[in-house]
Amino acid sequence: MNSPPEPTNLAALQARFAAALRGPGREGETADPALIAGIVDDGLAPVARLNLYRNNTRAMFVGALERGFPVIARRVGDGYFHRLAAEYRDAHPSRSGDLHCIGGNFPAWLAVRLAGTEYGWLADLARLEWACEEVLVAADVPAISIEALGGVAPEVLPGVRIRLQPALRCVSSAYPVWSVWRANQPDQPGDAIAADRGAEHVVVTRADDRPVLHLRPEAELHFVAALSAGADLQDALENSSLPVESLSQALAWLFQNGLVVALEAPVPGEKE
Amino acid sequence: MNRDVRAAGRGPTGPIPVSAGIGLRSVHHESLVRERPAVGWIEAHTENYFHDGGPQLIALERARTLYPLSLHGVGLGLGSVAPIDREHLGRVKRAIDRFEPALVSEHACWGKSGGEHFNDLLPLPQTEEALRHLASRVREVQDVLGRQILVENLSSYLAFTSSQLTEWEFLSALVEESGCGLLVDVNNIFVNSVNLSIDPQRYIAGLPPAAVQEIHLAGHLRKQVGQRVLLIDDHGSAVCPDVWRLFEAALRRFGPVPTLIEWDTDVPALDVLVAEAALADQYLERARELAA
Repeated sequence: MNSPPEPTNLAALQARFAAALRGPGREGETADPALIAGIVDDGLAPVARLNLYRNNTRAMFVGALERGFPVIARRVGDGYFHRLAAEYRDAHPSRSGDLHCIGGNFPAWLAVRLAGTEYGWLADLARLEWACEEVLVAADVPAISIEALGGVAPEVLPGVRIRLQPALRCVSSAYPVWSVWRANQPDQPGDAIAADRGAEHVVVTRADDRPVLHLRPEAELHFVAALSAGADLQDALENSSLPVESLSQALAWLFQNGLVVALEAPVPGEKE
Repeated sequence: MNRDVRAAGRGPTGPIPVSAGIGLRSVHHESLVRERPAVGWIEAHTENYFHDGGPQLIALERARTLYPLSLHGVGLGLGSVAPIDREHLGRVKRAIDRFEPALVSEHACWGKSGGEHFNDLLPLPQTEEALRHLASRVREVQDVLGRQILVENLSSYLAFTSSQLTEWEFLSALVEESGCGLLVDVNNIFVNSVNLSIDPQRYIAGLPPAAVQEIHLAGHLRKQVGQRVLLIDDHGSAVCPDVWRLFEAALRRFGPVPTLIEWDTDVPALDVLVAEAALADQYLERARELAA
């Protein structure tokens, strides 16, 4: 009989406004009567005014996701990427006032969304792109040189924790994600890479203002990932199946690339 | 209080001078340091420089040794009923500690509800309730940061029937209740004058000159929506003649004030921004002569 009362308190107004921004449906379908009644017409329908915000917030989200995952966007094309972005936004709306954060859940979401399809491998590519994003904002810590290892007594070496740069991520994939990433950089023609080319394992680091992708052997990648997660040398070796004879080479690679920031001696009695 | 005393920070290269500055965008990081154009100061978006490390931070470290710096936030959503994101605010504080900006600003807007952030500057009704709420949030932020902030007037595409105050009454009362300063975006006033049918001269006449510590200028887009023209605040073009005229009126009312050229979409070469800033400097010079 009566139209609903217009929202007069701030909390109700923001809740209704937010619902209209995220609401489903096509443009023009926003029709919360209480919200609409509370917006001045002045020559343009309140729904149309509201839709400007709705479209703007949507475009902001999609644009930020596109900037974070340019290779995925290029591979799947604008139309499909925008569809994925809209679905992803429904599942994982922005939780932060910092737009950089919105892609954090995209790789895991994509893995579920594309599971069982021929595009399932795109989730690994998304992990690689997110790793690139993360290294670009990680802390800067001075590296130490390989000489530091000389100061470690051999008997405590297995328990030493080798701390790596915060700007380091490991991405292991059964698919050729490194090759696809490289082929789809802005200066590349974007040649198709066959997904059955095989597994690739990538350590992502940072140099100056860009991410650097290092293709590494699988066992070495798992070794680096274990160190990065805080394992001591012995555990990292055992968990990664890195052959002992490859250890010095793997360590030399880390030091040469400025990726080691500290050596932490084991706490006495911590390890048998 | 005079303007220099009120400025909360002086920064490594001193306070913001009463001249024209430019918004720092990452595409200009290198050219700014290489060319060192004759602009008075720079302003950076806080959220682009408040992470743990990386090339963005290094670029701003370099730039702030050359120019006085202002940090301008876009993500706190001061007017949201949801609590202030303390982690976000902590990062803002860290950026302030690191870069020592001479001015810090945010917007008179909200951005979050029901756990979702819209990453947009959403409009508040000009009600007594919203005023009390926003003032308390501004005080909260100023307490955490240990300094005064400037609050910027918003561009809007809609107004609420529940508003009891005009925008200028709302902002003036906010200054009184929170002790904040004002960042007056002249382009936003012009955009709102068209979108919400308000008188831009009355808007400027209604703001308290002593609180105004910074002005923003930018371009906007004209868009036909249904039977009506709306102005979209896209910061994607040069400042238009109407906004320059309004800027002149603002300077007559406020006196010469540090003025920033903002450009965020289709960002042109640095020299285009520098030329816009030079034009703003001419207006500031005339205002100085008038004030003398």
